[in-house]
Amino acid sequence: MSDKVRAAQITARLRAGGAEIAASLPDSWLSALIDAVTDTPEITHVRVTREDDGVAVCAGASLMGRRAVLVCQNAGLLLSANVLAGYAHHHRIPLVVIAADRGGPEDGFYYQAYKGRVTPGVLTALELPWHRVGDARDDWLFERAFEQAAMHRSPVVLLCSRAALTGESL
Amino acid sequence: MKRNDVAQAVAAAAPDYVVITSLGSAGRAWRECGGTNPVYHCSDPMGAAPAFALGAALARPDLEFLLLEGDGDLTMNLGALLTVAGAAPGNLRVVVFANGRYETGGGQPLGAADRADLAGLAAAGGWAWTGTVRRGAPAADLAAAVGALLAAPAPALLVACVDAEPAPYGGPGPHSGDEARTLFRHRLREWLEKGTR
Repeated sequence: MSDKVRAAQITARLRAGGAEIAASLPDSWLSALIDAVTDTPEITHVRVTREDDGVAVCAGASLMGRRAVLVCQNAGLLLSANVLAGYAHHHRIPLVVIAADRGGPEDGFYYQAYKGRVTPGVLTALELPWHRVGDARDDWLFERAFEQAAMHRSPVVLLCSRAALTGESL
Repeated sequence: MKRNDVAQAVAAAAPDYVVITSLGSAGRAWRECGGTNPVYHCSDPMGAAPAFALGAALARPDLEFLLLEGDGDLTMNLGALLTVAGAAPGNLRVVVFANGRYETGGGQPLGAADRADLAGLAAAGGWAWTGTVRRGAPAADLAAAVGALLAAPAPALLVACVDAEPAPYGGPGPHSGDEARTLFRHRLREWLEKGTR
């Protein structure tokens, strides 16, 4: 499956979940998805300079009644710990983060490895709802995460594998 | 020029705007002297107010938004100037309360506060309009600058250089962030339904 087909599938799920606003910062696993989001007329896409800005964009949109999603690498979750915690526990604002789960066994880069090791622990410490998206069988999460975010009044994070984002079989 | 002078000038000129405030003395000034606009105080996290206001503005292009921002909050995350410029929201205007220091935190100076030109940074970053009101400017100049901000194409940013003033912590206040969010949404709905804007 091409990454463009895979990106179209994910974007369709995001739309089914009600996403109207998206913010993004690139990762090589996310290129096709970001392009697909950009090309979806029902979604307003914002290119941010830092991931915590993306979280804030989504939070502001959510305050005004729109469902919003940030697309970024898991390094962006580490960077965004303060804003994620603030919106989860102080303001209690729902939003969804789709994060490339870099640093796992399918990811052969020294500089990515630490991200894969520490991100789950950081998300758990922040007391955020989070889920792993391993492949297309987990696609329902792209749609239902918005409902969970609304129910929990909290950011919900989806840690997505390379296969889940690009459609590559390893 | 006191921070409350700026809040009063904004309140007088912008009754039709949804107001968002950052943390610190900008929000404090609006609490003390602001109008009856729907207002959301998005403190904390620090440094996130411009992007938060951007998200709100993009979500409701039918409404006009005004962010009351502190220079400490903006300085923490200057990249937000580019994020806003890139998104080019036609309904977001910003007033920066610039005193050159972390007022609530104890008055420590901001980095490069004696030489940085925040309006110049925004202009170089692609904002549609920027302006500055110098410290000590007469009230008429402040009112004119706020009027120019509101008449300008957006995104637009006005730096209002205000005096340093004490800003002691005032206690937790009556509402948590969660409660304030709920109250804001009720107030916004009421404001829109009654056509009081």
